[in-house]
Amino acid sequence: MSLSPIQSQALLKVSNLHVNFASRWPQEPNVDVLRGVSFELHRGERLALVGESGAGKSLLATSIIQLFDASARIRQGQVEFEGQDLAQLNSKQLRQVRGRRIGMVFQDPMTNLNPSLTLEQQLLQVILSHRNISRSEARLVALHKLRQVHIPAPETRLRQYPHQISAGQRQRVTIAMALALEPALIIADEPTSALDVTMQAEIISLLTHLCHSNGVALLLISHDLSLVAHATDRCLIMYAGQIVEQGATKNLINDAQHPYTQGLIRALPQMSSPGQLLYQIPGQMPLAQELGHQCAFANRCEHAFKACWQQQPSMPINQDHSARCHLVNDARPEEAS
Amino acid sequence: MTTALLKPLLSIEGLHKTYQAPNQGDSWWPMARPNYIHAIDGLNLTVEQGETLCVVGESGCGKSTLARLVMGLEKPDAGHISYQGKVISNLSQKARMGYRRRMQMVFQDPYTALNPRHTVLHALVEPLLYHQSELKRQHAIDLAMAQLLAVGIDPTLAQRFPHQLSGGQRQRVNIARALMVKPEFIVADEPLSALDVSIQAQILNLLAQLQSQQQLTYLIFSHNLAAVEHMADRVAVMYDGQVCEIASREQLFSQPKHPYTQALLAASPKIYTLPTKRHRLVGDVPNRIPLNHEQQGCSLQDRCPKAFETCRHQAPQLTQVAAKQQPQHWVACHDLNPTPKQGNNHDPEH
Repeated sequence: MSLSPIQSQALLKVSNLHVNFASRWPQEPNVDVLRGVSFELHRGERLALVGESGAGKSLLATSIIQLFDASARIRQGQVEFEGQDLAQLNSKQLRQVRGRRIGMVFQDPMTNLNPSLTLEQQLLQVILSHRNISRSEARLVALHKLRQVHIPAPETRLRQYPHQISAGQRQRVTIAMALALEPALIIADEPTSALDVTMQAEIISLLTHLCHSNGVALLLISHDLSLVAHATDRCLIMYAGQIVEQGATKNLINDAQHPYTQGLIRALPQMSSPGQLLYQIPGQMPLAQELGHQCAFANRCEHAFKACWQQQPSMPINQDHSARCHLVNDARPEEAS
Repeated sequence: MTTALLKPLLSIEGLHKTYQAPNQGDSWWPMARPNYIHAIDGLNLTVEQGETLCVVGESGCGKSTLARLVMGLEKPDAGHISYQGKVISNLSQKARMGYRRRMQMVFQDPYTALNPRHTVLHALVEPLLYHQSELKRQHAIDLAMAQLLAVGIDPTLAQRFPHQLSGGQRQRVNIARALMVKPEFIVADEPLSALDVSIQAQILNLLAQLQSQQQLTYLIFSHNLAAVEHMADRVAVMYDGQVCEIASREQLFSQPKHPYTQALLAASPKIYTLPTKRHRLVGDVPNRIPLNHEQQGCSLQDRCPKAFETCRHQAPQLTQVAAKQQPQHWVACHDLNPTPKQGNNHDPEH
């Protein structure tokens, strides 16, 4: 299998995706929470999605396989995966994609695994519901996958329940489960935020290396730029339901263009010397219903000028590294520093 | 911050706390000998007036148990905790009340720490009226409003419920509530772990600002090493219910001595430097249920790359690294404190 991330056909192509939630009262309009998200993910590529909580990261991840809340709806846009538009599929067709072609690793491994079933029952359920093989063959697959994620003594582990193993091992089991059907894409939604630093480093390196060696594409969601900095090839920064900056992870961190990305990096405790006050991005992210026609970041941005309040900046297309910002793109004011 | 004071604010000596564990699988008989988990296993620690002491360690090492013991929410099995020279760990509930006012706690999850049916104002006024029953209600409300301003929350939010606030605002309310009774000592159990990176910066700044305004002493439990490096005066590293290394911030982060500290530092994500694999630990925190026999030796022995024969049968003691140059740096590791039989090599290469 070729591992080069640059291939003509993207594995996943999300274009102009708008997702809204049905409002509780008929007189309230439905507001878009994802507002025109577009990105591409190639085979074998590791892509990071970074943003604050409430930016719409998890909603984007669940919108791809439509695992979201029943009140959410894709209003507009396409999610092309392996040549078919997932937004048009019915629930039966979607079940063929979920798990089999797109695996998912969730945040908290304890709530993700069923506490009343043994690991064997859960792993075999995943494999047998998609593949027409015997139980003993499926068990061999499960053992093989558990060995891949470095679980010691997998035969004994298979007979145990989730509460009998440690949190780090639980998350490794969910990774094994996501890998069990050899999917083309794994979506990991904050896979380490319930874990300690030592486990975190281990899980991230395991996930990225397994995806790399199996040729599986990875969409890694996190709120911590320093975590994804060395684990991913490309990075998307998300703010208020939009992608505000995208580019190769290295370039993006060394040469952040959007003021929000710059703020995220400057706010890291390691960026200022001990004892000093940390940089903090003033204010907080606007709610979806408060967004008007200005730039969503304008009220927190220290460089905001007239154009920022008048029109939404657009995202340049077909660039390796681009930012949704008036400062970077065209309408730079004469007096701006 | 001045640390040169005669008496430490809080001192913990030989603290032990044991919990009874459920019987393991095979013994179905209800009268079987119960298993015990040694959550805190002979811990010594002092907190000086006015300093920020951060305690770091993996989950399961006993951080939260220690926080609860210090606050008197649990009773220790052995050892004692003294506050300004007076033993407080064996006080009755009533005698404890005076200390409750002087030491307050900020909890980990800002949402579950607030009562969802109480408004912000209610949450702030309640502890004040509880400790100072002679206070007029209107005066208490005024104090609460002033406190909200001090932690950077718009007083118009006072009538809101916790679910109407963002995560950062909730944590600010928690801090404001802890400060309502004008404590001198704050214990915070993972105050940042439920927050985003950008909100963490705000809370870190707030804690630093409040400390300089009100001369607070902090005891902060965390596993976020980047934040600890930013805020701590001294850092204690905890492993398996014991302190395995304690030093000033500069020494701990520039010259970590204990293999566990080195592994923790190596695992902490850094944005510009590549992660190293040099000090990686294998395996998990040990399951601290001794089955009929006590485990001998150092508790890190199974995960430590440097473990040797002495580590298998003798637990290391906290000793000073170099008494003259670094009087505050203590570490518990056989590799660094070789027993006299093996020669007096004071600076082993690693």
